[in-house]
Amino acid sequence: MFLALRELKFAKLRYFLIGFIMILISWLVFIISGLANGLSADNAAALLNMKADHFVIQPDSENKLNRSQIPEDKWTEIKQITAGTGATPLGQKMLSVTKAGTKNKMDVTLFAIDANQFLAPVITEGSHFNNTDKNQVVVDASLKQEGIGLGDWLQDPETNQKWKVVGFTEGHTFSHSPVVFMNLKDWDDLIRANPQLKQRYYSAIALQMTPSQADELKRDVSEIDVITKEDALQNLPGYKEEQGSLSMMIVFLFVIASFVQAVFFYVITLQKTNQFGVLKALGANTSDLARSLMGQVILLTVTAILISVGFTYGVESILPESVPFRLDVETFFLFSGLLLVVSVLGSLLSLRRIANVDAIEAIGRAE
Amino acid sequence: MKTKLAFEDVSKRYGTGDNAVKALDHVSFHVNEGEFVAIVGPSGSGKSTLLSIAGVLLSPSAGRLILDGQDITNLSAKEMTKIRLDKIGFVFQTSNLVPFLTVRDQLLLVAEIAKKRGIEAEQKADELLAHLGLAHRRNHYPEHLSGGERQRVAIARAWMNSPELILADEPTASLDSKRGRQVVEMLADEVKSRRKAAIMVTHDERVLDLCDRVLTIKDGKLIATAGMKAASQPLHSHH
Ligand SMILES: Nc1ncnc2c1ncn2[C@@H]1O[C@H](COP(=O)(O)OP(=O)(O)OP(=O)(O)O)[C@@H](O)[C@H]1O
Ligand SMILES: [Mg+2]
Repeated sequence: MFLALRELKFAKLRYFLIGFIMILISWLVFIISGLANGLSADNAAALLNMKADHFVIQPDSENKLNRSQIPEDKWTEIKQITAGTGATPLGQKMLSVTKAGTKNKMDVTLFAIDANQFLAPVITEGSHFNNTDKNQVVVDASLKQEGIGLGDWLQDPETNQKWKVVGFTEGHTFSHSPVVFMNLKDWDDLIRANPQLKQRYYSAIALQMTPSQADELKRDVSEIDVITKEDALQNLPGYKEEQGSLSMMIVFLFVIASFVQAVFFYVITLQKTNQFGVLKALGANTSDLARSLMGQVILLTVTAILISVGFTYGVESILPESVPFRLDVETFFLFSGLLLVVSVLGSLLSLRRIANVDAIEAIGRAE
Repeated sequence: MKTKLAFEDVSKRYGTGDNAVKALDHVSFHVNEGEFVAIVGPSGSGKSTLLSIAGVLLSPSAGRLILDGQDITNLSAKEMTKIRLDKIGFVFQTSNLVPFLTVRDQLLLVAEIAKKRGIEAEQKADELLAHLGLAHRRNHYPEHLSGGERQRVAIARAWMNSPELILADEPTASLDSKRGRQVVEMLADEVKSRRKAAIMVTHDERVLDLCDRVLTIKDGKLIATAGMKAASQPLHSHH
C-alpha cells in the first residue's frame, strides 16, 4: 500500500475523476435496482405480504389467481380435511370503481377474505370490518392519493353496489393497483350479480402449511391444484416480464461497469509500464506490484460504493410518493460485493501487463 | 584486495539463427573493492548489455559471473530479483524516479520493497539525503527538482539498500558538464568511503579522470584497459 496510497495522493485529480465515474456507475446500479424492487413490490406487495405459503387453485388456470375458480363445495371439502385451521378462502377480482358521487374511475383489486383469519390486513388507520356487517371495506392507503378518505363510499358502476371505507392498510397493492378488502358476504353479493352463476366460488384457498401437508391435501381432494406463493407471484400478470427487463438492465450495467473500470485501470497501467520496469530493476517482484494495484482498485471501489450508497439514500428521500422505490440492506451488500468483484476482475487484465514488464527495460533507455 | 565482481569469459547473444546478434564476445574483467570503473565505447558496442548482466537483469549466454564471492551465472528469475534487491544499486540514464513519490519516499521505497521499512530505514534515508545535499528537498516531488538534483536522488536511492555494487548507465547524459561532474564525484566518493564497487557507462570523457580504470568495448569485445588516474591523455583517439 506504500505506493498505492502515495500515488492516489499525488494524482488526486486523475483518481478523483475515475472515482467519480465509479460512483456514478454504482449509483446507477443502486437506483435501477431500487426502482426494480419498488416496481416488483408495487406489483405484488399484497401477495408478498400475505401470510399464506401455498394456494389451492383450479387446475388448468395456468397458476393464475385471477383465472381460478374454487366452487363452494370444494371449499367445504377442504375445510373438513383441514378442520378449519391453516386454510381460508380468497376471492380476487379486478374492478374499476368510482368514489360515490363522482365519475372518476380507478382500478382496484378486490380481496374478499374471512376477517377472523390470517388474510386479514393490518389496519393502520380507522377500524376493521367483521364477517357479519355488510358493505364495509378496508383499502390500501395509496387510494388516499385518489382523494379517498375514511367514511367515503366506493361504488361499482356495473352492479351499483357500494362499500364504505372504514379503514386503511399499507403495502397492499396487486398488479400495480391498490387492494380493497371486503368480507365474504359482500363477495357473495358481488358475484351473484351475474345471473348465470350456479354456485358460489372463490378464486383460491390460501394455506398456511408445510409443503408435505400441502402435497397431502392435493392428493386427498380431487380436481384441485396446490401451488406455492412463489408460483403465484411469477404468474402475476406482467410480473415475470417486468422483472426480466429490469434484471437485464442491471446485468448490462454490471457488464458496462466492469468494462469501463477495466479499461481505466488498463490505460493507467499502460502509462506506468516504464515505472514498473524501474521498480522491478530495484528488486520489486510482480506480486508486490500486483498487491499495490489491487489495493488501489479495492480502495477506490469501496470508497465509490460507500459514497454512492449515501447518494442513493439521498435520492430515495426526494423521490415522490408515486414512484415506488425499495432497496433493502441485503441488496446493497449483494450489489456492493458484485461491483467489487467485477472491478477486481477487470483489473486482472492490467496484472498481466505488469507481469510482462521486464526489469531490463529500465536500463539504457530514456524516459 | 577483495574482488567484488568478476566476468569470466562472458558472452551474450541476442536472438537465434540469422538474426542472432553477438552483443558480448568473451569478456573477462574484474572490479575490486573500492574501485570505480568506467566503460566507454561506441553506440551499439554492448555497454548496456554488459551493465545488465552485471546487474543481474540478464543472464549471460556463456561464461561465468561472480558477485561478492557468489556464483550468479545461473539463477532463477526470483533469485535474480533477490540479488538485485540485496546487492545491487542502479543509477539509470535518466534518473527514473517514481513521479508520485517525494524525494524521501523514493529512498524509503527501496526499504519498503525489501520489507525493511522502519525507523532505521528513515534514519538512513535522512542521512543519505543530508550527505548528498538534498535535505532541504526531502519533501519535493521529482517534477520540481533540477536534473542534477534528480540524479543525486537516484544515487542516494542506489545506496539505500547498502549494495555491494553500484551500476550507472550514463548518469550524466541529461546534465550539463558542471553538474555531471559533481554527480560523478559524489558517486566516486561514496564508492571509496564505503569500500564498495561501481561500474559506470558513459560517453562523457570529462569525467573519466574521476574513475580508477576505463574499460573500452567495441563490437562486444573489451579492447583496452587504462588506469585513468595515471593516464594523462584519455580516449580521445576513439572518437
Ligand atoms: N533485446 C535485444 N534484442 C536484440 N538485440 C539487442 C537487444 N538489446 C541490444 N541488442 C543489440 O546488442 C548490441 C549491443 O547493444 P547495447 O544496448 O548493449 O549497446 P550500447 O553499447 O549500450 O549502445 P548505446 O551506447 O547506444 O546505448 C546492439 O547491436 C543492439 O542492437
Ligand atoms: Mg546503452
